[in-house]
Parts: sequence; structure tokens; C-alpha cells
Amino acid sequence: MTLIRPRLTDFHEVLVAQSDLDFAIPFLDEDIPLHVDPFLLWKSPSQQDQALHTAVTNSFNHLNYLLGRDRRGEAREILVAASECAEVGLGHSRKRRGSRIGAAKADEILSLFGAIEDYSKSGFSHFEEIQLYVHGISKDRVSDICCSFLKSFLMDYTTEVCRELGIPLAHVAVPATYDYRKNRFVEDQTAWLPVNPETSSPILVVPKRWLRFNPWINFDEYYRDYCPFDDVFQPDETRDPVRVLRYNRDHYGLVRDYIAAKERTQADCRNDPLFRQIPVSSAKGKLSTIRGLATGKAEGADRKFESATSQLLASLLYPHLDFAAVQSRTDSGVLIRDLIFYNNRSLDFLEEIHTDYGSRQIVFELKNVAEIDRDHINQLNRYLDSGLGMFGVFVTRHALKTAMFKNTVSLWAGQRRCIIALTDDDVSLMVTLLEGRQRPPVDVLKKKYVEFRRACPS
Amino acid sequence: MNWPELDRFEKLVGQLESVYAELSILSKKSPNDAVNPFKLRFVNKLLADSAATLGSDYLPFGDFEQFDSDDIPQNSDVVFILSQYLQCFEKLRADNVVYRHGSWDWEIDAEDDDSADDSGKVYVRSTRPKRLKD
Repeated sequence: MTLIRPRLTDFHEVLVAQSDLDFAIPFLDEDIPLHVDPFLLWKSPSQQDQALHTAVTNSFNHLNYLLGRDRRGEAREILVAASECAEVGLGHSRKRRGSRIGAAKADEILSLFGAIEDYSKSGFSHFEEIQLYVHGISKDRVSDICCSFLKSFLMDYTTEVCRELGIPLAHVAVPATYDYRKNRFVEDQTAWLPVNPETSSPILVVPKRWLRFNPWINFDEYYRDYCPFDDVFQPDETRDPVRVLRYNRDHYGLVRDYIAAKERTQADCRNDPLFRQIPVSSAKGKLSTIRGLATGKAEGADRKFESATSQLLASLLYPHLDFAAVQSRTDSGVLIRDLIFYNNRSLDFLEEIHTDYGSRQIVFELKNVAEIDRDHINQLNRYLDSGLGMFGVFVTRHALKTAMFKNTVSLWAGQRRCIIALTDDDVSLMVTLLEGRQRPPVDVLKKKYVEFRRACPS
Repeated sequence: MNWPELDRFEKLVGQLESVYAELSILSKKSPNDAVNPFKLRFVNKLLADSAATLGSDYLPFGDFEQFDSDDIPQNSDVVFILSQYLQCFEKLRADNVVYRHGSWDWEIDAEDDDSADDSGKVYVRSTRPKRLKD
């Protein structure tokens, strides 16, 4: 069976909504575009999270101890090993694989312990401050270093949550696990973890509460809002951010004040959701955009329809259907766009779709046409044949003409395939339900399905 | 009409009027919004009890029994149906009240301890049928 943008849970037929889980469901072949922010562990009310933050900070500051004992090579090795944690699959890689930093970059980071007296004496209290001194160290690197030092905990956490959900585990070796007692990475650790079905490499999951798009302490914000440009640059000099990084090394007080400000405003620091619904006003705006579009392709109406509908449906169907991807494909020389949602069986109706039609994912084909004809139905029908189950949805402007509706009923009667159509009026009703909050908008999909089934021969 | 039927009538009409009033407010605010499944369950219960009390002669629509939650009934739909049932209850009442001694009274079959008139009926004060013109 085909899965578009497969996730760990869906691949193993564990169909749960992301909103019901404590961890971010990893994709099997790409990264989740979020990062672990160590600051969220620091500010967490949980003693466990605070202790983990302390462990990460201690592990990082141990590098200073090694430098003091003239063991620079060892410190460099640890830092290089910590700089990539592919098992968690966070960041922007399309293949779940990143690369470690080089020895030179590691030395540049280690030099901070010598260059700044406070770090030399007391160490870092937020190791992500290194972003403010070293070029090329950004959110993904901070996240990876944090995850690498926490890998042992994440292994236990992953095993526990996967066992609870019934995700199959394999006994695998986990490379570069940080041993907190030995204060170094070890290579002989094994654990029961889920693995990538293609590469057999272990997968670690991360609690959602640790994730943000950007770390709370980050260079971009520092550069934008806190950097004293008048002191760093000459009046007509080009503002090179690298210059700011060098300037910070000689003016630790600025960084200290920035960190103090960030700690003071910690109440505003919250984890970012994996999916953010658009607000009702925005949903209404998109609906009126759709309503105002002509059918066909004139003036890019089809693209506007596809864009507005994708954003709208992803929000309207959340959290009952998790949005997977916008897909483009060509059939008989026609470019077709569709939306794919994970079917997590969170409602009895979705359970029925899964059981009766074998749909682990649901296809919504977008059609900005005056009327759906036989070719459109055949195209969607053929696409369903590619392993996406027997249930498909047209998102179109007007209701199917009687002959075409009968055609879909015949498909059900002959092949037990279900093709239904959501029209402008249905999407409008969904937006009304979103606003009223009396019923979830996904009920409109059920309504259309029930209406279709009533028309089918018994 | 007998005493248990009158009791059931009054209870149901009171409940219908109350639900009608509540949903009318919602319907004025957002007529197209859906009624949530919780409210709908009780509306359907009221409709089923009403149908049993009204009987086929007074039922507003022969082919309507209850709302199907899957059809996502809207506030205005429910208000419309409730108003029809209230009208039919009023018709039932109008057919069972009599004007005597200057007031409109229910005509009830007397029970053992009732002080009935010669025709075996007792009378309970009601109001004037709403559709009667002055």
C-alpha cells in the first residue's frame, strides 16, 4: 500500500492523531521542521526537564574541564560527535541525514572557553549562547547538540512510548550515545527502538513540549533587536553579521544582558505546535476568495483555488485528519493537484473509511472546474488504484450532475469505490461549523459520505 | 382526554416551548450554524414523545420523525420543526377545550374521586385557543 510522506505511526498501522500524542511523530524519509530548544527544558516546571537541561549544560561545560586538563583533542572529538543527531529527524533535511561539524568549527567553539573569562570560570548556563559567537552555528546545530547529550534519555523515552502504542521495536545498536558517567560518547549501546524500514537505522522520538521553530535564544533576534550597530559598525560600513559575532567575544556584557532579558521574559517562551490552525477570520477570508473565483484557469483561478483550498482544508479537518502533503501529478497530460491527509481513525466514520475502503490516507483532489465529468472521475479512480485505498474526495465548485453522481454510485456498486464531492457550499458549511464550534467541520465530510451511501443500492 | 394525557401534554409543551425559545435565540444569531449532537439528542427525544402524544391525526408531517445527526441540522431547521410541533399541540388543545361559564376549560374524563358533571367530565381551566378571532 502506498503512503505519501509516511510517518512512523501510519507505516505500522498505528493510526493516532498527532494531537493525541505527547511526542512529535517522525517522518520516515524526511525531517520534522522543528528543533529542540534547550531553553524550553530550562524553563519547564518539570523537575525531569530541568534536570535534563542541567545534564546537557554539564556535559557541554565538561569540555572546558578537558581543555583545562590539556585534553583538547578529546574535547574536540566529543563536540564533533555531539553536533549531529540523525536519529531524532529534526531540522530541514529531506533525507533525515545531516552532517557533523568539522574540527576547525569545533575548535572555534572550544575557544570560547578561553576567550571569555566568565565561561572559563563558570561555564555556560545556556550553551545555545554559542550561536552569538560562532558563525554557522544555528538552531539545527543547537538542537542536535542538545539531543546528542540527551540521547540516552530519548532512547528510554522512545522505547516506552512506542511500546504503549504498539509500534514494532528492533534491538539495534545506537551510534554515539553520550555516557554521562564517563563524560564521553560510547559506541556500544544497544536498545529496543523503532527503525527506518528502508535503512534499518534507529529512530528516536522527541516530546512535543521541547520543540520550537527557532530557539528562544537565537542570533537572528539578537542581531535584529539587541545588537548595538552604532558601536559595531562604522556609519557607512556594510553590516556583516560575522562582525557582530566577533564583537560579542570582546563585549560579553552585551550577551549577558541579552540572556538576562530572555530569562526575564521566559513566560512568553512556549513550544510551537506541529500544526497551527488558521484563525476563523482567515478561514472566512479564504472562503470568500474561493467563492469569488471563476471556474477554469483564466487569470490563474485554478492556482488560487488550490492554494486557498489547501490551507483551508488542512485547518478545517484538524485535528481529526492530520495534513500530510500537497501533491502534484500528471494524468493524460493534465496537471492535477491533490491534498493527502493521514487517516488516524479518530471518528467512527473515519474508522469505517479505513476498514471498508482500506484508506490509511485520504485523497482530496482539487478541481476548479464548472462541472466534474467522466474523465475527472476516471482520473481519480485510477489514482486510487495506485494503493491509496478506495475512498476519494473531489473538492470542486458545484455539486455533481445527476449523471456523474450516478456514475460514482455505479463505481460503488461495481467495485466498492467511494468518490464523493465537497462543493463551495459544503466548504462554507465547514467554515460555519468552525466558527460556531458546535460541531467539528469534519462532520460535513461524514454528511456527504452518508448522503452518498444512502443513494447506493443496498 | 384524560388526566395522564393532560399531564403529558403540559410537560411536553412546556419543554418544547423552552427549547424553542433557546434555539430561536441561537437561530437569530447564526441560523446556519449546526446544533450540537448533545442538544440534538434531547430535541429528538422530545420529538419522539411529541409524536406519541399527537398521534397521526395531529402530527405535523407524516414523513418526518426525527433529525439525523449525520445531516448536520442547523439552528433554523430545528426552530422551524419545533414551531410546527407547537402549532399542532395548540390545535390539539383547541380541539379539547370548551367555553363554559366565561372561561376556556379542558374537558377531562373524570376519575373515581373526581366530582364529575352529568356527562362524566371534569373541567380544568385553560386559555383561549390562540387562533380564535375576537
